[in-house]
Amino acid sequence: MLILRESYFIYVRNLKTWLAQPWMIVAAVLSSAFMFLFFGEPLRGITALPGFPADDYQAFLAAMVIVMAVVFSGSDMAMVLLTDMMSGYVDKLLLSPVNRFSILLGTLLIGGTRAMAQVLAIILVATAIGVRFEGGILGILGVIVGTTLLGVAMGCVGLIVAMRTRSVQVTVNSWLLFMPLAFLTSAFMPRDLLTGWFQVAVGLNPIEYIMVAVRAVIIEGWVWDSILPGIWILLATTAVLVGAATYEYRRATN
Amino acid sequence: MTNGPAVLVEGLGKTYPGGVRAVDRISFEVERGEFFGFLGPNGAGKTTTIKILATLLPKSEGRVEVAGLDVTRDPKAVRQAIGVALQEVGLDDLSKGRDFLELQGLLYGLSRAQARDRAAELLELVGLSSVADRRVGSYSGGMRRRIDLAGALMHNPGVLFLDEPTTGLDPQSRIAVWEHLEELNARGVTIFLTTQHMDEADRLCRRLAIIDHGRLVAEGSPAELKAGVGGDIVHVAFNADDSADDRVDAALAAVRDLPGIRQADIAERGLTATVSDGGAAAPAIMSAFQDANLSIANLSITRPSLDDVFLQHTGRQIRDSDADGDAEDRMWSQWMGVNRR
Repeated sequence: MLILRESYFIYVRNLKTWLAQPWMIVAAVLSSAFMFLFFGEPLRGITALPGFPADDYQAFLAAMVIVMAVVFSGSDMAMVLLTDMMSGYVDKLLLSPVNRFSILLGTLLIGGTRAMAQVLAIILVATAIGVRFEGGILGILGVIVGTTLLGVAMGCVGLIVAMRTRSVQVTVNSWLLFMPLAFLTSAFMPRDLLTGWFQVAVGLNPIEYIMVAVRAVIIEGWVWDSILPGIWILLATTAVLVGAATYEYRRATN
Repeated sequence: MTNGPAVLVEGLGKTYPGGVRAVDRISFEVERGEFFGFLGPNGAGKTTTIKILATLLPKSEGRVEVAGLDVTRDPKAVRQAIGVALQEVGLDDLSKGRDFLELQGLLYGLSRAQARDRAAELLELVGLSSVADRRVGSYSGGMRRRIDLAGALMHNPGVLFLDEPTTGLDPQSRIAVWEHLEELNARGVTIFLTTQHMDEADRLCRRLAIIDHGRLVAEGSPAELKAGVGGDIVHVAFNADDSADDRVDAALAAVRDLPGIRQADIAERGLTATVSDGGAAAPAIMSAFQDANLSIANLSITRPSLDDVFLQHTGRQIRDSDADGDAEDRMWSQWMGVNRR
């Protein structure tokens, strides 16, 4: 229980630090709105393709906007952690008698919170431009829970990048690492309509299955055949990445 | 706290993974309630030592006990018993001063109410009550040191480790910090302080150790150390464009050959000589400079200061020594210490 108490204190501190930078939050929301605007409008005609599963392209795109925002939040988390390492604040925490894992937990939870807040904002934007969620309120809740978990997982990647490299140069550019995860997906059209090596690569990307699940909830409702693989892959990915981040963290803090 | 001295160090050594030997088998003790100064130039091993004592860095060999507890076997209990304020402090710029302190208290196990009261008390003590609800990032250098010091005191530690607490402060802020430290020590807190300022060490510390190139070169009270220099100090400031000038070498060699000269060194465009009798040696030193064709700008005879103690033991003045790779070390501390490749 002590670990939970300590993690909570560190979590609240991280939350305050985040809320103290309102422009970062505004930028995150704006970038999602721009996705709908800059991809949704010009690509609207894609829905006319034979075999395209949705009538409203914005609804199809919503899954991509949500998942991509969460994937890239891992890069933000890398920078957040690196900033604390460079300012010496991580040392300040390590000098205190708190459990090492409280510090880790307080950091991973903020990754989830940031992802959750961003997904919530995107859902509001999507609803405002007329996207209907076929999965209903429960579907929206499911998407929020799932993407929060994905935020924790991506935060782990960010954490590993920051701790391994300890370099501003690498960390600032760590979005490059997340780019293939986000774009080697059925972001713009369903996998059946993709071709060649791209289609193969998309099939190998775990994020794809999560995106497919989110999209199913939005445009079709509770189609378990599309949703379940996403859930399993999400759980497995999160478990592996949390394990890897814990290992890395233990190694770095001895 | 358990029994034993506040700090016990026996044969402590630290080699960084890259092979750099930062601390080389040093031993010393700090008694409970003592105000102890750990002196040395940048890169001498001060910061490495203090980080090992504070459990932030693992040692390579030797025995280290703080507050009667082994730092390797019982790091958590050591952390609870000590307060630490390191250089490049690791303040949380986006948090408010009061929040920063309260969180420190909570992390050391205080209840919310205790943390709130203690934070208010310490803000008063370090004179930051009026800016308590401003973000730490907006604080001046002196205010940052004071809030960091307050943070280290939140849980009432019996031993306080301070790494260069006044470096970079203006004179008034330095004196303010000194007064806080003296007051704490008077209340029974053991203080272990590193500094490169001899005046600071002289004013505050009851006992000192000087570290250079990872080894302890001297230890004792300021008075003992100064007495150990022996005799008087003659300082000659000369007019030369370049201390590497041949004439300077000639003058130095001549002075060293004079009777009654114990030691003579060149530093900062001046010559400092330790002599048994300053009045007797001065004329001979002046003529040595005349013979070398160097004009003298100023000559003084003084009793030894800690600067002279340092010069005697290390062959250079403390502020001659260049900044070293320690900056990086400070920035990354443990993260680098463990993983540097």
